[in-house]
Amino acid sequence: MAANQKQVAISEFFEKNKHFLGFDTLNRALITAVKEAVDNALDACEEARILPDIVVKITKLDNKKDILQLEVEDNGPGIPRASIEKVFGQLLFGSRFHAIRQSRGQQGIGITGVVMYSQLTTGDPTHVESKIAKEATAVSVDIGLDTRKNKAIKSNQDRIDWGEKAHGLKVKTKMKAKYQRGRQSVWQYLRMTSIVNPHADILFIDPDGEKHHWQRVTERLPSRVEAIKPHPNGIELGQLQRLCSESSESRMTTFLRRTFSGVSGRAAKELCEVSELEEKLKPKSLNPQQVRALLEAFQGERLLKGKPVKLLNPPTSCLSPIEELLIKKGLSKTIDSKFVTTMTRAPSVTQGNPFQVEVGLIFGDGMAADKPVEILRFANRVPLMYQQGGCLLTKAIESVDWRQYGLDQAGGRGVPKGPAAILVHLASTNVQFTSEAKEALSDNETVMEEARKAMLEMGRGLRKHLEKQKKMGKTKEKFELINDIIPAIAEKSAALLELPVPDLAGSITRIMSAVIAETTTTWNKETKQTDVHIAFYNYTSRARSYTMLVNWPERQGATMVGNELGGRKEAMGVWAWKLETLQPGSRTVITYSLDGLEKGDWNETDVFYRGSQEVIGATKMDEKLLEEIRRQEEALNAPPPDEDADEEGDAEIAPEPEPAETKPTTPVGDPKQTTLFGGDY
Amino acid sequence: MAERKSIEETKTALHDVVREMYDRIVKGEPPTMTLPVRTKNNIGFDPKLGVYKYGKKQTIRDATSLGSAKQLLRALHVIEFIESMINDGKSSTLREMYYISEGWGLGKFQSQNESNNLAEDLEIVTRCLREDFKLRPEEDGARMIGNLTLRERNRRGEWMRINARDDVGDSGYGVPYNVEAEKIEFLEHDINFIMAIETGGMFDRLVENGFDEDFNCALLHLKGQPARSTRRIMKRMSEEWDLPVVVFLDGDPWSFRIFASIAYGAIKTAHISEYLATPTSTYLGITADDILAYDLPSDDLSKKDIEALNAELSDPRFADGWWQEQINMMLEVGKKAEQQSLAKYGLDFVTETYLPEKLQQLGL
Ligand SMILES: Nc1ncnc2c1ncn2[C@@H]1O[C@H](COP(=O)(O)OP(=O)(O)OP(=O)(O)O)[C@@H](O)[C@H]1O
Ligand SMILES: [Mg+2]
Repeated sequence: MAANQKQVAISEFFEKNKHFLGFDTLNRALITAVKEAVDNALDACEEARILPDIVVKITKLDNKKDILQLEVEDNGPGIPRASIEKVFGQLLFGSRFHAIRQSRGQQGIGITGVVMYSQLTTGDPTHVESKIAKEATAVSVDIGLDTRKNKAIKSNQDRIDWGEKAHGLKVKTKMKAKYQRGRQSVWQYLRMTSIVNPHADILFIDPDGEKHHWQRVTERLPSRVEAIKPHPNGIELGQLQRLCSESSESRMTTFLRRTFSGVSGRAAKELCEVSELEEKLKPKSLNPQQVRALLEAFQGERLLKGKPVKLLNPPTSCLSPIEELLIKKGLSKTIDSKFVTTMTRAPSVTQGNPFQVEVGLIFGDGMAADKPVEILRFANRVPLMYQQGGCLLTKAIESVDWRQYGLDQAGGRGVPKGPAAILVHLASTNVQFTSEAKEALSDNETVMEEARKAMLEMGRGLRKHLEKQKKMGKTKEKFELINDIIPAIAEKSAALLELPVPDLAGSITRIMSAVIAETTTTWNKETKQTDVHIAFYNYTSRARSYTMLVNWPERQGATMVGNELGGRKEAMGVWAWKLETLQPGSRTVITYSLDGLEKGDWNETDVFYRGSQEVIGATKMDEKLLEEIRRQEEALNAPPPDEDADEEGDAEIAPEPEPAETKPTTPVGDPKQTTLFGGDY
Repeated sequence: MAERKSIEETKTALHDVVREMYDRIVKGEPPTMTLPVRTKNNIGFDPKLGVYKYGKKQTIRDATSLGSAKQLLRALHVIEFIESMINDGKSSTLREMYYISEGWGLGKFQSQNESNNLAEDLEIVTRCLREDFKLRPEEDGARMIGNLTLRERNRRGEWMRINARDDVGDSGYGVPYNVEAEKIEFLEHDINFIMAIETGGMFDRLVENGFDEDFNCALLHLKGQPARSTRRIMKRMSEEWDLPVVVFLDGDPWSFRIFASIAYGAIKTAHISEYLATPTSTYLGITADDILAYDLPSDDLSKKDIEALNAELSDPRFADGWWQEQINMMLEVGKKAEQQSLAKYGLDFVTETYLPEKLQQLGL
């Protein structure tokens, strides 16, 4: 009787929660299963610093009953034999609880949910093979769930030979599910996953045996994320109570400084002051009123000299943005198109949680020009595939007037139309969803503002690109005109009149009456460098002098080689040459190569000029923008502020000058904020 | 005024065009070609000729943009080609020239329309006719039935005497593309007027009903927008035999345009209006009031129709009161009707009732 009850309880649990566990429809159940297994593989590889190779295979077993078999194999660290049953057979067993940092998996329900769903719909256990590096053979075992004890049942445990493969995990499970194509499909999930995980190699074999392969486009693993201490702005009462009662610290000030991030020695004292707590109080001894007072101080409700206690921002080392170049590569590999612009905002903070917004836009042929743009949403590198309309990230896209950037958009609101795809990624230690289904991000003004700013900047990039393309087209026409057509007219007319061919220089100068810059940026297969070639033609009747400037990916670690004209560094990522005299009718060439980049990293070089006569094919330098870049560079090079610098001598520290106050949500100054590429000229 | 030019005159006129380009280059300026603006904004009534001609507005096509520079280069190729035909005693169709331009490299035409337009441009600036250029149209000439006799010089160079009633079948006498004096001479006739008809169906109806004999007239099938040779033969017959021309078309904005091109000159060929237009021709029908008066089956005007009617309101060729009234009436009624809608009242209605009534109004 009791046994039955338990069984009922588990089925009921599943039935009641299947929407938030992700198993509410047969299509979604499959996507969820793939997602749980793939997310785990990516997380495990990332932690073990292994470049992931993941194979996903779906086979139809029984057409009528919608029974599919899913196999996911990775080359991660594997799971030690003793842990396998816990990972697969025990709910809430995970390695990531309470850690405040960005990770895909969070609750430790994931893969056990899949095992459970499999057993409930097919009655069969899940087959697992795992090999860890230090063991010669792999463990092979079938895991089922003992619904009475809510424990794993192992069967068929054995050791098998994996040949060459040093480590990894393989899961094979059967389930009632449906394979579908389209926007909400396993294919789309994996495609999106591969975009934001350019370091992963993902092979998908669909039920028809067709192979879809998304190759690794970078060897660079996502940067290591560190767990951080909680920030006072993001703490809830219960959590604070627990932290206090579990603390063994003997003074409030030390407790505050050591338990939380963003609390300096001075801030700790001030927090005690405004919450009327003695500094030498033991945190354990706080009564509920006192805890509440402290919380009010944390939340800025208790003021010191009319102001909340100033807290530092939490460190952002807990975030792992994909970063501009890799978004570019990720997008380029799945969508075949020429122009990509990306933008990684500086980390910011909302309610004590660090977050960072990244966006990417790919534009060009190969996408429908008359359909809404494709929106690719991600939270912590996990694709969001459902509830697009209700998601903060979609709203951010919709709030931008894309018409000014070259996309169609009825009334300047809503999802724009055009041959483009827009990617939005939110990296955060605490992603807020609208519901347990975890498919749409809930509204948050700070995040919205960041996302919007990123879109605007990216939009400017798109507009610049389109303008440049138009200009380049015009320049190309002019060249055809003077190089081909005018000489042909001269020759033909001379021949018809039986007269000598006239000199063309005068006509050509009159036709062009401009200085022209022609720029090419090409990947050189042999040297593995990016070659830049800029030719200037003076088609005016006077000698001209200019300072020409280019942008180059200095910050991304490129070096400039073979630059024979020399020149000088103007600012971070901006190089300049002085061209003293361009004689009328003459041509001057600047060439250099960029070393240390991969193919596709740098496809377009922007050329700027300082000088009075317009240069077709270049943009007049915006000195203000250059100033801004220099300023940010200085900020970057300045020593980072030390959190605990004022630990001992608080009393001697002079009160801070008033205007230096910063709001807790102000982003840390980051050089990426303004780039020469996204600027508005 | 356009008139036939000798071989030497033609060559000189063409060389003047080349000269303009060449001289500009020598002066260190972009080469140019100067020609009149070819839109309705630059046509005006020439009281001496009684037709509409291009006005004084000129455009200078200069080689500062890729498009116009290519036009100039094409013009040079066409001139070279014409010269070679003149020298070799050959001629070619406009379509053939379009295909020959395949070998002109950068001077190649993108479409047949482009090459036709350029041939016209050259006619305009040189005041020659395309016949002088040895260029023939592709266009379909008209057919004609009626008791009139002419002689045509055939391929072998022999003159053939043809009566357009007795020596032809039901499809009538086919008008050749060249109807100049070297090819066609008018001999004698026993007709009172010429009736130009838009559609083949109506032409055949009148032929079958013996309308030409009953009313002593020549019937001419225009085949839609009439070809240059069709307009030219009407002009010659009406002038040389002093015959009135009545024009019987569908009742829609496009027919109004056809009539204007017959009576006043077409915008595209305004440089040779005096050579193609028959100012004495009259519009017989279908008029806007016919639609109401005869209660004809009709269709609603489309958006395009309305646009065309509005454009006609500001076209100088339709400036007179009667046309303004007709156009406004059609806009008001919002309907158009085909010639053949007269069949509503039976196959003979057109020949027994409609045309006699209309002709009587015109005093014929
Ligand atoms: N492919 C794998 N390779 C190595 N370790 C794994 C693998 N899959 C799971 N694990 C380990 O098993 C633990 C439990 O995984 P599970 O999916 O149940 O929870 P989670 O990933 O922590 O959180 P979530 O419920 O959000 O998925 C992981 O935290 C990880 O330590
Ligand atoms: Mg997981």
